[in-house]
Amino acid sequence: MQCIRVPTARDRLLDPMASEWSGVAGEAIALGATPLANQPSEYVKASRNEDDVGKVRNVMVQTAHDGNEIFIRLSWEDAQKNVEVTETNMFPDACGVLMPLNGDDAPIDEMGSQGAPVNAWYWRAGAEDEAHNMVAHGLGTTRPAASATIEARSVWGHGAWSVVFARALAGEPEAAVDLAPGRSVRIGFAVWEGSNGERAGIKSFSKEWRELALQP
Amino acid sequence: MAESSKRGDGIEYATKAELKQAQRQVAMVFDLNKCLGCQTCVVACKTLWTRDEGMEYMWWATVNTKPGKGTPRDWEQMGGGFEDGVPRAGQLPTRRDFGDAWEFNHEEVFFGGKGKDAHLKPSGEPDWGPNWDEDQGGGQYPNSFYFYLPRICNHCTNPACLEACPRNAIYKREEDGIVLISEDRCKGYRFCMEACPYKKIYFNHARQMSQKCIFCFPRVEQGVAPACARQCPGRLRFVGYLDDEDGPIYKLVNKWKVALPLHPEYGTQPNIYYVPPISPPRFDASGNLDESKPRIPTEYLRYLFGDKVDGALATLQAEMAKTKAGGKSELLDTLIVYEWKNLFGPFTQDPAELEPRKA
Ligand code: HEM
Ligand code: SF4
Ligand code: SF4
Repeated sequence: MQCIRVPTARDRLLDPMASEWSGVAGEAIALGATPLANQPSEYVKASRNEDDVGKVRNVMVQTAHDGNEIFIRLSWEDAQKNVEVTETNMFPDACGVLMPLNGDDAPIDEMGSQGAPVNAWYWRAGAEDEAHNMVAHGLGTTRPAASATIEARSVWGHGAWSVVFARALAGEPEAAVDLAPGRSVRIGFAVWEGSNGERAGIKSFSKEWRELALQP
Repeated sequence: MAESSKRGDGIEYATKAELKQAQRQVAMVFDLNKCLGCQTCVVACKTLWTRDEGMEYMWWATVNTKPGKGTPRDWEQMGGGFEDGVPRAGQLPTRRDFGDAWEFNHEEVFFGGKGKDAHLKPSGEPDWGPNWDEDQGGGQYPNSFYFYLPRICNHCTNPACLEACPRNAIYKREEDGIVLISEDRCKGYRFCMEACPYKKIYFNHARQMSQKCIFCFPRVEQGVAPACARQCPGRLRFVGYLDDEDGPIYKLVNKWKVALPLHPEYGTQPNIYYVPPISPPRFDASGNLDESKPRIPTEYLRYLFGDKVDGALATLQAEMAKTKAGGKSELLDTLIVYEWKNLFGPFTQDPAELEPRKA
């Protein structure tokens, strides 16, 4: 997966609907259900059927950087947007990006491990676009790592979500994966379908890491 | 494992067994023969803990008429808990099921200038409330019956909520077994809400987290009984440690075995116990009292409290017969509560006598 270097203004790249994105080649990534066996809750294991987990099975990924910041655009089909959480049984649509924080050996299907943390970027639908930078050391261990900020913008239209994440390339030890032109990192993706009650470990994800190469 | 480590760093790696561990267990016994259905406990709790935004619909303490659908509506049909030790799928109760928080036209009535033409009423057409089927009960006249069932979180020994959380946000306090949701860790995933078979967890929409009864732990830490218990005019909410052999809880639960958990078949091992209601005899077809049949069908009490309810009722009746015949009964003396403070075990401190805490 190539992250091309572009001269485009940041407010254009931050806009999921900006025409510039149509010039950025994307890759369709297949997503699958998170394995029930990996759910860190006996209740979740006993109450779910893996066939019903992970409704969104495809996400289109486009990436670009301008030498200072990286922009990652995820888009997927979703006939019904789930934004408000006004009832206890309502959950918002959401998406996330995962990268090993330091080193390549972090398991994607367990969100890293105690010795091999991962960096997660998380967006969820809401009245305002909110994105969170997190670190996980394995299943059930996500923690906010607010020292690094992620920005996100989203648009829902014509039966699809488009979300752009933006972050400074330079990382932070313990909190944010360090990116730089010319560097390659491993990356994974996840989508939560709110109408299917998806949250936490109930989601669809890219079952293997992809290589993201940032153009020098 | 120390209390601090359950709350702090490293809690995410704890095993569920560690999170469930407690040296002692606080418990309550509710004597259903004394509940007036006055809702003082409910309001005491509401006033103390659930007045903030996002908590409008929450009633950590509830009192409902039984038989009845309860709060949330039909909670006994919502699943959760355990079956043969395996978690059972449960439903998420909705705000509507809980009865929600009705909005009223206060503005119109008090400031609308309409005089006597404006009447206080809820907006919309509510079709449920926390006590919608109050006092309907069951049975046919002249054998109709009901009683009140006060409920709070059971601070279970095997909490389904704790087991369900994928983030280890729920734990039992080491020193007293109170089940708490860590506000630092909870992300509002609501698996606990699904899994609790008593439906005693609420979702706070303003804070995007789950919340529930905390057994008034800041009071308990100062030797003060929980507000619902201390405020109860019926004097029926006993508080204490389960292992305190001199306390009323131990006597009622373990010695006399007249206090039973609600729906023990849910498998969570609740720590709120109930003295089942004794009822007058039924009328037979010709209008005479049939001393052999209680007005509240024992079958119904078995449904609520399990098969041990027969033994509990028999013990209560035998002890009542004993005192009627002029004898003395430790059991009845305990249940009568001659001295109000005897309800509260070690938690008799008057909160008004404590130094106010600095904010
Ligand atoms: C590339 C793939 C993945 C990404 C981007 C990702 C991202 C995330 C994020 C951002 C959260 C926090 C959600 C929130 O705050 O509401 C989360 C939570 C969680 N994830 Fe993943 N995840 C991935 C794969 C997996 C897999 C394969 C599992 C296996 C079951 C899993 C299990 C969980 C669980 C149990 C939680 C909830 C516990 C917690 O908050 O730490 N994840 N994930
Ligand atoms: S009653 Fe429900 S919320 Fe309370 S401890 Fe038991 S399972 Fe958890
Ligand atoms: S305050 Fe006591 S008597 Fe009144 S409803 Fe609550 S438990 Fe029953």
